[in-house]
Amino acid sequence: MERRNFLQSLICAAVSLAAPLSTQAKVTKNKPRFRYLRPPGSLEENEFEARCIRCGQCAETCPNRCIKFFGTENGLSSYATPYITPREQACILCMKCGDACPTGAIKSIKRSAGTIVEQVKMGKARVDENLCLSYQGKSCGVCYRACPLQDVAITVGWMEQPHVQEACVGCGLCERSCIQIPQAIKIIPNYS
Amino acid sequence: MTSIQKHLNKLRWISLSLVFIILILLPCLSVYQSFVAAHAYDLLSPSEKSFYEIMEWLTPFVSDPENELDMIKGTTWSASFFGIKLTDPLAIIGQLAAGLQIYWPFIMTGLIPVTLTIIFGRFFCGWICPATFLYELNTNLGVWLHSANLPIGKQHFDRRIKYLVLFFGLILSFFTGSVLVAAIYPPAIIGREIYYAIALGGFGVGSVFFILTLLFDLFVARRGFCRYFCPGGAVYSLLGRYRVFRINRNVSSCNDCKKCTAICEFELDPMRDNFGQECNNCSACIAICPTDALKFTMNCKDIASQGPGHLGHQYSEKNH
Repeated sequence: MERRNFLQSLICAAVSLAAPLSTQAKVTKNKPRFRYLRPPGSLEENEFEARCIRCGQCAETCPNRCIKFFGTENGLSSYATPYITPREQACILCMKCGDACPTGAIKSIKRSAGTIVEQVKMGKARVDENLCLSYQGKSCGVCYRACPLQDVAITVGWMEQPHVQEACVGCGLCERSCIQIPQAIKIIPNYS
Repeated sequence: MTSIQKHLNKLRWISLSLVFIILILLPCLSVYQSFVAAHAYDLLSPSEKSFYEIMEWLTPFVSDPENELDMIKGTTWSASFFGIKLTDPLAIIGQLAAGLQIYWPFIMTGLIPVTLTIIFGRFFCGWICPATFLYELNTNLGVWLHSANLPIGKQHFDRRIKYLVLFFGLILSFFTGSVLVAAIYPPAIIGREIYYAIALGGFGVGSVFFILTLLFDLFVARRGFCRYFCPGGAVYSLLGRYRVFRINRNVSSCNDCKKCTAICEFELDPMRDNFGQECNNCSACIAICPTDALKFTMNCKDIASQGPGHLGHQYSEKNH
């Protein structure tokens, strides 16, 4: 085959492949099939998938081993991207993954309460008052004690009833520590 | 000089094995670090305790494992190596295709690999790639199968298919907006899957794909995936097209024994000066050459076909 013919066939094939894909891609995007969190400092979902090269260094540096990877269960476009299931193992906001990420898909954020509250947006906790023990008259307060940003992200009122504040970054330590089954406090991820 | 080059193939095997061992050790260290960080020794199961003790024994003189074992992290796909971040060129191209954005700090991490590839050609494929380690063992398995009279693959395809794979991989990456070439690139898969197996408790879907490529190599075409389909190999081939270091044949000492052509896993033809951009500098042909006719030289182009070797049977027939 001549080089020119080869290039021509390349372009033809590309165009024929591109047409159906471009329509399909738009439909399948942004439809998470279950609740998960991205590591702290992650970019917005679409941009994250484009940036992340699936090297796995975020998980390797994570001292809490909370970062896991998707197979194909969340769609092909998020194959092998990192995620966190807070109920199993939550983020301790050590910010090491951001330093390890070579692509900037996870931003490097300084480890201090101010910058974390300002820049980390994994999600926001929500209390289910029907499940929460404190709202049932049994003073608990475990989520408040687990929170790394006590009194900033979460405050407690009468009977230690938790009140989630605007500053909540969604690390998931409250969900991890909740003694109710199923958990009464849940992180609502930012992408949904 | 030739005597050193004769041993390059052994050196290459040491290098491949080292890389593979490191790829297994790094996730182990990572798990060990997480145990240390959690002060969890007393809570570990007996098998985890023995793992902890083995890792402790493997890292003597380290008083603070949580922070002192961070020198090397990552895989051959992307790693931080004593503070220097290195990334596979395919990752950079794939990311550019997926996001159509340029993020300079990341692109700079590919500078060293790209420069080395321009000088040494596909050296990554032959000397570092953890998939090559397994594929070459797989080839040896194929030789055993063959000696046991089982059928092994001898198919031939067009070598340019891998450029198509690269091209379509990038197109797919672009339209799905995610770096999908990472999903079909064996060294990336192996780095990932070893981590999954050690730290996350089991192999993922990538390992199925990798086993399929092993079977393909065994029963369809020898080293077929590297030669015909590997998108990373395509990138390295293109970058290394005008590489400075390449193997050349000294026609006056060649005896046309054809051993080099038989040993070449990429099915190139060193005996007819046919290396091209595909050669991965594995130097197996140098090691096997009985007359030391093949040598690494500094030369930006292959020597055009020089005809039969001067010590060869064909050559003497022509001249008498």
